[in-house]
Amino acid sequence: MSDKPLYILLVSGEREKLQMAAMTASVAAVSDRPTEVFVSMNAILSFKRGLPPEERYPEGGGFFAAQFAKASAKGGTPDAVDLLAQGRMLGGVKVWACAMVLDMLGWEDDDLTEDLFDGRLGLTKFLADAESGDLVSF
Amino acid sequence: MSERTLIDARGAFCPGPLMELIAALKAIEIGEEVEVLSSDKGSADDIPEWVAKVGHEMVGVEEKGDHWSVVVRRAK
Repeated sequence: MSDKPLYILLVSGEREKLQMAAMTASVAAVSDRPTEVFVSMNAILSFKRGLPPEERYPEGGGFFAAQFAKASAKGGTPDAVDLLAQGRMLGGVKVWACAMVLDMLGWEDDDLTEDLFDGRLGLTKFLADAESGDLVSF
Repeated sequence: MSERTLIDARGAFCPGPLMELIAALKAIEIGEEVEVLSSDKGSADDIPEWVAKVGHEMVGVEEKGDHWSVVVRRAK
C-alpha cells in the first residue's frame, strides 16, 4: 500500500457509498497513509448531530442497498459514521465539512456529529491539498 | 511466554476485527501479543497484510472450526 496521502470526496447519501468511504478512509489511515475526507452534498445529512444509527442512512437505493441495510440491521457491520470516528481516533483521519453545504443547510459546526470533524473547509483548499496525493470520490 | 490480550471479534465484519486489533495494540506494551478471534475470512487474510505494512509481527493464523485465531505481537 502506498504512503501517498489519500483524499476522499464523500458526496453521496447512498448507504453503500458512505460505508465504503468510511472503510477506505479508516483502513488507509491505520495503515500509516495520511487520509483526509471532505464531506459534502447529500452525504452531510448522515452526519447530523444526535441522529441514532438507524436514522443516519436513507431508505431506498435499489436491490443492493436494501440487502445491505437488511444485513447491517442484523449487526456485525460497523456503522459508517462510527467507523470514520474510529479511523480518526486510531489513524488520525482528518474529516472536513464542506463550507458551502453547511451554509446552504444553515448548519453551524455544532450541528455536525460530535468529535468527528476537524472543521469546515472550502472545496478549493481541499483540492489544492489533494494535489499531493490520490483523490477518490464516493 | 509473552503477555497476550484476547479480543473476541466473532460476528463482526471487515474492518471491525482489524480496528479492534489496532485499539488493543495501542493499549499494550512492545513485545506483548493480541489474539483476535474472527469469523470473518476477509479479516483473517487482511490482518496479516496490515501487520506486514505497519511493521508489527505476525505470530500465527489458525482456522478453528467456524472462526480464525490471529495472533499479532506489538513490535513498535
